[in-house]
Amino acid sequence: MKILVADDSRVMRQIVIRTLRQAGYDGHDVVEAQDGREALEKVAAEAPDLVLSDWNMPEMTGIECLRALRAAGSQVPFGFVTSEGSDDMRATAASAGALFLIAKPFTPEAFDAVLAPVLG
Amino acid sequence: MSLDVSVLVGAEQVLDIAGDVWSSLAGPEEVLVPLPASPAHLPLDALSAWVLVLGPWSGAVVVTTGASTALELTRALLRAADDEELTAEDVTDALGEVANVVGGNVKSLLTAPSVLGLPQVGHGMEAPTGEVVVQLDLSWRGQPLCLSLRSTAPTGVRGPRTPPTDPEGQP
Repeated sequence: MKILVADDSRVMRQIVIRTLRQAGYDGHDVVEAQDGREALEKVAAEAPDLVLSDWNMPEMTGIECLRALRAAGSQVPFGFVTSEGSDDMRATAASAGALFLIAKPFTPEAFDAVLAPVLG
Repeated sequence: MSLDVSVLVGAEQVLDIAGDVWSSLAGPEEVLVPLPASPAHLPLDALSAWVLVLGPWSGAVVVTTGASTALELTRALLRAADDEELTAEDVTDALGEVANVVGGNVKSLLTAPSVLGLPQVGHGMEAPTGEVVVQLDLSWRGQPLCLSLRSTAPTGVRGPRTPPTDPEGQP
């Protein structure tokens, strides 16, 4: 399977990829994007099986990316990995079509809990 | 409408958030130790990373530490080997992300909707000034590190993060 990791921080992308590995998801191809716009383009170009996206990014935010994907008819499984985990944001994410929201800081267990139903 | 942030966010909560950030991102054995005396004596080359929170309460969450400690923190976040070369951009990115995660969690404690800015990084004196709501003088791996929550006048959310322009501040 292919996972697209979108975050404007290269350091955080590396941490997310490392945590995926620690959670037991180390056999998947990983593609990176540095903002929502690049993520949108890479969903079209790379056809990932899952998108893990930050929320607050320059150019295009994660929620804008998700809404653009759904408006274009893409149903790619999409989850947020973001520093803000308020109830309001979780509700906004869910209503836009996100499967989950992982709040930073996170643990491999938190990743596994939400990824197991998606990646098996 | 204004918000008394000191009622919602105290030093203990910020320390809990920072402790979780360090153990999750820097490593499970990494701890922040409150210093018995304050203020912490930061080196002249200190770097600050901050995020602005804009809403009924406007302020900044600021992380400040010496350039060498920022580099060590970057190495910890990336699990980079001692001999692996890191760039100034890596340090800016890492310190900014630490401020971003602490700031996002602080924002989650606020009862009213707010906007979180993108992280910014500069030399220690460049961080937003304002009334100090929370000031934590800490030690990480024996080196001083300060975390503060400051009320500021609304100035707009800026971004994205950029490295300091003074090459002397770069690792």
